[in-house]
Amino acid sequence: MTLTIELNQVTLKRDDQTVLSDLNLTLSERRIGLIGNNGSGKSSLVRLFNGLLQPSQGRLQVRGHNPAGGPEAMADQVGFIFQNPDHQLIFPTVIEELMFGLRNQGLSKADARERAEHCLREHRRLDWAERPVHSLSEGQKQWVCIMAVLVMNPAVLILDEPFSALDLPTRQFLTDWLLGLPQQLIMISHDLDVLAAFDRVLWLEQGQVRGDGDPETVIADYRTACNEAFSL
Amino acid sequence: MMTLYVHRQSWLHRQPAGLKLLVLMATSVALYALTSLWTAGAALIAVILAYRSLGPAGWSYLWVVKPLLPMFILIFVVQTWSQSVSAAILMLLRMLTLIWLANLVTLTTRMDAMMDAVMPILSPFRRVGVAPHRIAFTVALFVRFVPVLMAVLNSLLEAWKSRGGGRAVWRLAIPMLINAIRMSDHVAQALAARGGVRSPETPVSMVQPQ
Repeated sequence: MTLTIELNQVTLKRDDQTVLSDLNLTLSERRIGLIGNNGSGKSSLVRLFNGLLQPSQGRLQVRGHNPAGGPEAMADQVGFIFQNPDHQLIFPTVIEELMFGLRNQGLSKADARERAEHCLREHRRLDWAERPVHSLSEGQKQWVCIMAVLVMNPAVLILDEPFSALDLPTRQFLTDWLLGLPQQLIMISHDLDVLAAFDRVLWLEQGQVRGDGDPETVIADYRTACNEAFSL
Repeated sequence: MMTLYVHRQSWLHRQPAGLKLLVLMATSVALYALTSLWTAGAALIAVILAYRSLGPAGWSYLWVVKPLLPMFILIFVVQTWSQSVSAAILMLLRMLTLIWLANLVTLTTRMDAMMDAVMPILSPFRRVGVAPHRIAFTVALFVRFVPVLMAVLNSLLEAWKSRGGGRAVWRLAIPMLINAIRMSDHVAQALAARGGVRSPETPVSMVQPQ
């Protein structure tokens, strides 16, 4: 059992198009940022980690598990946060949303409720329990999404552009909060400033790693490349 | 249902969902045994007072019947004409009592409590291979996505109008449908990432990762 994510010559093809080609990576840092232009393969890469996508070739290990069993089998290990909270909030009220994953993990209704309430209390948001999710602000919704995944106690938290619809103060608040979590974080972001405090940044281009290292260097290289010739 | 649910707690919120549904059912039967205007009126007043007990704003929820008013008037006229004024009033009292009582149950019962209460009734579906918890889940999902789809429709309408769309609004039906289908894809992914739709008997730990 290793506490890392390892990719060994991983290639992903979708409809005969190569999305990721021959990736060899060992991801063991606590907080890893993922940058790159649209269509560079970032979203596909993270979807490999919890089995939402399966590699066409190569081997993949996430904390000692092979995600070939699909996302449901990986739900205990990997928490996944999507871009749009409205696509992942499934239940009418906050408490039901938090209880859903716990019930899937086999907890009784009473235990699930207790754990969900404990999570809300820890974040001093117990008063949200009975609130209808549609009454929350966008930032609050995304926070509930993350809490609903965290309450399942995954080892890895994957966030696919979680802040793209959020204002600056909300981004800052959620980033600070995320950085304080014990989980391994893997986050895709177009907001490069958010990644400054991360341990490692990967820059993907056309399905390959173009930059890899500390945030300062990789982000600077990426900015330079963006200022060079670019056309739509 | 969700849009109606009042999240401020009241004594009615604390009653078990099954009990509330039973009272509703019993009342609907009993109301038809009542033939006196006085007792029917008393039942109506009791329901209205129950709304008042929800808090200062409780009475405002009585407006839920507003869209039904034209229908009430029509029924009242037809009943008066075919039977009598007192029969028409009795009918109206019964209908109002029932609608308000049913609405009161919805206002004060959480979705999952309601589903737990009706789950035993759904259990015969198990015989045709449909797990009751899946039906309950579908209902919850439906309730949740009504406001989301309304928001999608609204933004489509705004985009339509801001480009001078005109009156042929029906043409939004196709983009609306495409949006809904794409959204269902996203929702399915998010659902799978949290373990899918499963019953307590088969937790995610039973689908061991390889």
